Amino acid sequence: MTLFDVVFSGNDTVCGLTEGAINDAIAKYGEDKAVALPDTAYSLPCFYAVTGTKITTLGEMKAGLETIKTLQGRNKRLGDVFNSGVATALEAEFIETLKYIDGAQPYEAPCSGHVSDAIIRELGVPLVTGDIPGVAVILGKAPTADDAVALVKSYQAQGILVTLVGDVIDQLMEKGYKTGANVRVIPLGKDVTAVVHVVSIAVRAALIFGNIEPGDAAGLMKYTFERVPAFVNALGALNPIVVAAGAGAIALGFPVVTNDVETAAAVNIKVPKSLIVQPDIEKFNATSLEARDIKIKITNIDIPVAFASAFEGEIIRKGDMQVEFDGSRVDCVELVQMKEMAEVEDHKIEVIGPDFDEMPVGSKQQIAYVVEVAGKNMQADFEPVFERKFHAYVNCIEGVMHTGQRDMIRVRISKDAYEAGFRAKHIGEVLYAQIKNEFDAVVDRCQVKIYTKPEDCTKIRHEVAIPTFDKRDERLASMTDEAVDVYYSCIMCQAFSPSHVCVVTPERLGLCGAVSWFDAKATNQLDPAGPCQVITKEKLIDERIGEYEDVNEAVRKFSQGALEDVSLYSIMEKPMTSCGCFECICGIEPFTNGVCIANREYVGGTPLGMTFNELASMTGGGVQTPGFMGHGKHFIASKKFMKAEGGVARIVWLPKDLKEQVRDNLNKTAKELYGIDNFVDMIADETITTDPEELVGYLTEKGHPALTMDPMM
Amino acid sequence: MPFNRKPQKFSASINEVEIGTGDKVIKLGGASVFPFYTFDGSIGNAPKVGVEISDMGLEGEPAGVKEYYAGCTTMGEIAKKAAEMEGADFVALRLDGGDPNGVNKSIEELIAVVKEVADAIDAPLVVEGCKNAEKDGELLTKAAEALQGRNVLLMSAKEENYKAVGAAAGLAYNQKVGAESAVDINLAKQLNVVTTQLGVKAESIVMNVGTATVGYGYDYVISTLDRIRAAALTQDDKMLQMPIITPVASETWGVKESTADEADAPEGWGDVEKRGVSMEVQTAAADLVSGSDAVILKHPASIAAIAKFIKELA
Repeated sequence: MTLFDVVFSGNDTVCGLTEGAINDAIAKYGEDKAVALPDTAYSLPCFYAVTGTKITTLGEMKAGLETIKTLQGRNKRLGDVFNSGVATALEAEFIETLKYIDGAQPYEAPCSGHVSDAIIRELGVPLVTGDIPGVAVILGKAPTADDAVALVKSYQAQGILVTLVGDVIDQLMEKGYKTGANVRVIPLGKDVTAVVHVVSIAVRAALIFGNIEPGDAAGLMKYTFERVPAFVNALGALNPIVVAAGAGAIALGFPVVTNDVETAAAVNIKVPKSLIVQPDIEKFNATSLEARDIKIKITNIDIPVAFASAFEGEIIRKGDMQVEFDGSRVDCVELVQMKEMAEVEDHKIEVIGPDFDEMPVGSKQQIAYVVEVAGKNMQADFEPVFERKFHAYVNCIEGVMHTGQRDMIRVRISKDAYEAGFRAKHIGEVLYAQIKNEFDAVVDRCQVKIYTKPEDCTKIRHEVAIPTFDKRDERLASMTDEAVDVYYSCIMCQAFSPSHVCVVTPERLGLCGAVSWFDAKATNQLDPAGPCQVITKEKLIDERIGEYEDVNEAVRKFSQGALEDVSLYSIMEKPMTSCGCFECICGIEPFTNGVCIANREYVGGTPLGMTFNELASMTGGGVQTPGFMGHGKHFIASKKFMKAEGGVARIVWLPKDLKEQVRDNLNKTAKELYGIDNFVDMIADETITTDPEELVGYLTEKGHPALTMDPMM
Repeated sequence: MPFNRKPQKFSASINEVEIGTGDKVIKLGGASVFPFYTFDGSIGNAPKVGVEISDMGLEGEPAGVKEYYAGCTTMGEIAKKAAEMEGADFVALRLDGGDPNGVNKSIEELIAVVKEVADAIDAPLVVEGCKNAEKDGELLTKAAEALQGRNVLLMSAKEENYKAVGAAAGLAYNQKVGAESAVDINLAKQLNVVTTQLGVKAESIVMNVGTATVGYGYDYVISTLDRIRAAALTQDDKMLQMPIITPVASETWGVKESTADEADAPEGWGDVEKRGVSMEVQTAAADLVSGSDAVILKHPASIAAIAKFIKELA
């Protein structure tokens, strides 16, 4: 038998039973006898939602069945399988409704049968907020009663609402397990048709919370697929009726997980991501959650010390230190690596090598922790974004201090933390919990490997991490504005500077220095309604100054009309605005045809006759000031720096500290652009002069290229 | 050169949101011109004035307020009297007593007050939480349930609890959602975006974009109101076209100008109550001319003054 045959025969059986039941009822009560489900304003909710028709009498129900039959196509196509599944659910609703005829109360505790509108409205709110992260429909019989209890408990612990149909109810009763809406375990009924009561919950959620119009079947399926995080666990041998009902669940977007390997194999069922065979009942929870894409927020990190931002600045002195990992002396490294789904087992934390117990008190040791992540929406470009958060994560642990990044880290564990039971695996717990919580939009699975043996750490550092870092740096360095299709806006600072908009490009990072193109991209993906939005760059206006129609449109929109147009590469024509958080300010120096740059840390004067603060007062506030701009430190060595005015050759003065920070990259850029060697040595600093006339003298002596360039004004 | 009048009319307009039921129903919003620019086009519905009462009764209220409610012993009586106030369009019940760091009344106790107030009046009702986002998430959800059919405005859904408040008020029980942000156009917009993504209709949202008392960093409020109204009208930004409601009394009656006794205050400040009314009126007037579609006040003198102000300008 194929899947088609099974579903069709199951559907036929239910259809026959329904027809018989309706006919029997009509024979007994007549066609005009009223039928209704109790405490709902939505008639027979499933039928009403799919067809838009309310059923009030047995006669109407009989006519309704004819409507349902039109869904029961018998072509061997998946569409007919799903429609037959939906038909099965609608027929089940009829059968269940007939049980309530004449005000009967067909269900008794613990079974609830039909669920009232009031309970759905009540459950709907936590479902929407995510307080109830999912709805499990457990159907059939678990291998043992203990298995049933363990499975239900696992969902309950995650806050998932559990509904039960069939023998599993008896299994829980046998173990005396507590059920009821208040503990979020609701036994529906023992007949398989009782499953329609949970379908009815999903359908009414769509009508109430989704404003879906009754009769809009496509809208209904879209809503349940996107918004109702339900899934089915079909336990035990699958019979055709269960399979047909399962097809209905899949049509609504609810995956079905079964442990019936034989039937599944016999009918050669293959509905990727919707019908999943999981022989091991212990893995039902993880398989189901992943299939329905349900992410559980971790509220309690399982470590013996506290975790809070209050501990972020905690200093651990040598005397208080149990053990230290010092990347400047031995091989240490922290790394995030993207992997394939199959390579990552969620929440697996491995410590490879000796734990803290085996390390002499106060000793310097090596450590390498590698966090491996996988996810449908994960991209390798996010690796460094996560990695940069490690510093904050590890630092927030009480009694642990962390400095540095990549392979230049230093981590100290205090004696108090060690006494409290803090060990290597707990670093893994923290990294796991934080990554899963903060980046749940892109991370589906996460595992942590902690290496403490010297040979492993050396190997990881030199053979895995450093090549990865080099590759990332190369990619970052080779990323040009031309090589990408989109830029990003950043309006994080608008609270202070209402009309400012940063346009972040690969070669021009945000002026605060903290938001690179990759950061903006990650921010956009993790928080799509947030401060970083995609800006297309399809309509070029002027390549020389980097002006695009789309960029202008975006800037107009995000500045609420305060800014009309900006260029990306000019300081004189339509320069980008500044908020107030710029790392550096660049200002035009009229005597030399060049520009001076001051960084925030520099407190002295400049040849412009102004300090950083004085410059800042005329550059900030989200207004365009030709001749002045705020920017990040990394932008100084960019080939796009003032490209319209001739590029970095215009830089005539830098504070000494800043000069040293940018020296290598700036020399490289000048060499590539103009063929000048050691360009940085031609640039003056405060130890040479802050006087404009002396500056001209120095530049003349050094043969600085700015002197012979076209005037900027 | 002769003066050439150019009307600033926009094709965009502020959403119209109804609060309450029956004869007393009020409509907020509807303008397609800047605030009170009646010479340019339609300002839609004239701004509305609400009377604020608290579950804490009359405790600590200024003398003029106490005097107005003299003889009222129950919350129902206070609510009834508030609804009758000259110039008032709606009643705003504030559940101050719910604050976990204050009196910390239970949710059941507060819902009983909500019901008592709702039963006593047929005027439109606005329910304000206790300012604690976590408690409000539950409290306002329960209030939305208790007030089914009354079409009330629940304030406020904030970034921390918009899902709970939005789902309950906007989806489950068909009430109106007050979306509160802290004096920042982008945060206001983002909250509207995520609330509508939840499924709440844009037409069911009223914004509280944050407020302050005049003189207390109030320029931020003006600039935020201005920019929101400008973005809504000039740029047809659908996610900023919700009408704006501004709670004024709860801000202005806490500042020193409104609380310092004549004896303690610098010389020449004069009567404390007059000062309080003055702060309330100044703030409310500034909110209204900057784009607020409703203000919530509490002193009868302030309410009379602002109602007259609206009548003269609208």
